[in-house]
Amino acid sequence: METKIPKPKDAFLSLMRADFTTQWRNRRAVVMSVLVPTVILISWKGLVDKLGGPFVISISLTIGLTSIGLMGYAISVARDRDKGIFQRLRATPTPNFFIMISRLTVQLAMIVLLVACVFIVGYKFDKITLSPAGYALTFVTGIIGGALYLGLGQSIVGFVKNAETVSSTTRLVYIAFLMLGMFGELNQFPETFNQMVHWSPFGTVRMILTGGMDPHLWNHETTIALFVSVGYAVVFCFLGIKWFRWNSAGA
Amino acid sequence: MIDKRTAYTFVKLKPSFWKMIDYTGSSILTVDRLNVFYGSFQAVKDVSFEVRPGEIFGLLGPNGAGKTSTLSAVEGLLKPHSGDIHVAGFNVSKQPLHAKANMGIQLQATSFQPELTITEIIRLFAGIYGVPLTSQRLNAILQDIKLEDAASKRFGQLSGGQQQRVSLVIATIHDPILVMLDEPTTGLDPQSRRQLWGRMEAIREKGHAVLLTTHSMEEAEAVCDRIAIIDHGRVIATNTPEALIELHRNDPNVIAASRKGKITLEDVFIGLTGKTVRA
Repeated sequence: METKIPKPKDAFLSLMRADFTTQWRNRRAVVMSVLVPTVILISWKGLVDKLGGPFVISISLTIGLTSIGLMGYAISVARDRDKGIFQRLRATPTPNFFIMISRLTVQLAMIVLLVACVFIVGYKFDKITLSPAGYALTFVTGIIGGALYLGLGQSIVGFVKNAETVSSTTRLVYIAFLMLGMFGELNQFPETFNQMVHWSPFGTVRMILTGGMDPHLWNHETTIALFVSVGYAVVFCFLGIKWFRWNSAGA
Repeated sequence: MIDKRTAYTFVKLKPSFWKMIDYTGSSILTVDRLNVFYGSFQAVKDVSFEVRPGEIFGLLGPNGAGKTSTLSAVEGLLKPHSGDIHVAGFNVSKQPLHAKANMGIQLQATSFQPELTITEIIRLFAGIYGVPLTSQRLNAILQDIKLEDAASKRFGQLSGGQQQRVSLVIATIHDPILVMLDEPTTGLDPQSRRQLWGRMEAIREKGHAVLLTTHSMEEAEAVCDRIAIIDHGRVIATNTPEALIELHRNDPNVIAASRKGKITLEDVFIGLTGKTVRA
């Protein structure tokens, strides 16, 4: 009898097919991830002239990315960990990182879908158009922003073992980010608070998204925001991976 | 049927180099002085046993005795503090993918993605194990486990017995030399349990091995060729069920545990592990 180690490509494709199918069957969650940003985009139509199209789109995208990283990724990982799905997969001759990379690939596709939907809705309803370079760069900054929120989701699911606690924690954080997005940068609060929001994970992602949409306006502060965003992503991912346990019992 | 005395495995190390392991007289699974800790708590203490080709080996013990921890270490799901585990000649720590490729596993609380159908779950694991799966082969598998009408059902929609059949099919989809079943008959009706026993015996007939944990002494007596009783993390007895009964027949604790005069494996088990209910 031959010991047949499956080809990495076959194993990975099988995992990805299953993860994409799972995502497709969770269409309601997918719709919600896209719906909230597009509703904000449509409801802020009157503010486009005042705040600028890229600003409004960046707020919508940031909220959408938060939703994907926290509500989509973290909750599904916590649920599957709780159900022993990861343990079952880990008992197969598949490297552990394949399991997570497959999950992250699905989320990456979600980010691309979100950015595309926001661009389409922004154009159709708010008549917001960007240069070709702006569209391309926004996909890149969207992925960087998405990595930050996926990292944040990973650190929550790493730190909190119980699936229900993960769910409630991510919802709280999501609502906090939603509030920051809606009101945080309207300069209605003390300067210290405004600065905190500005350099928070929400603010830096919004800045790089805005900068990406209009490359002519990309300045020194945007570059710093890019580095800070990458820094946040690295720290969150490091902590999330360090704390993460494959089963909820913590073994 | 493969004669277990001449059961061989050809182990592909590199495309150009084939190693042949002769299982004649050797073990499919060797656990040597295994120690597992959870923090400062030692769940498994110097556990050693082996599982031979063509054998159903039972690991028995009260709740929290260390059975699942031992199995988890063999499955590579937790890192032991010390000890060696070899599956089909491969060290689980040093060659985990080769070792896992030779194992089929049914976890105690096996769960699959609830959004996937039975067909999709079987396809997923066939892909992971690199098993080509045509539609005809898939249909044959579903017919074999009498679930051809439930192909598009999701795992959570199946009964306990049906779930166990799917889990076992997935555990054996790559025809592994070692199948590990963690309390597979818990909650099953007698018909489903008998059917599962038949499937275990079929694996044995092929010269492969089954490592089974169970709380059912009836099951252990019915299907296991040898058993190890584990308590407080230690193996306290290893032998055939018949030999264990014979060896401990006159033990006062065993006699005290006997309910109907005739000494059973359950009496031996309670005699050796005590009457105290474990958490």
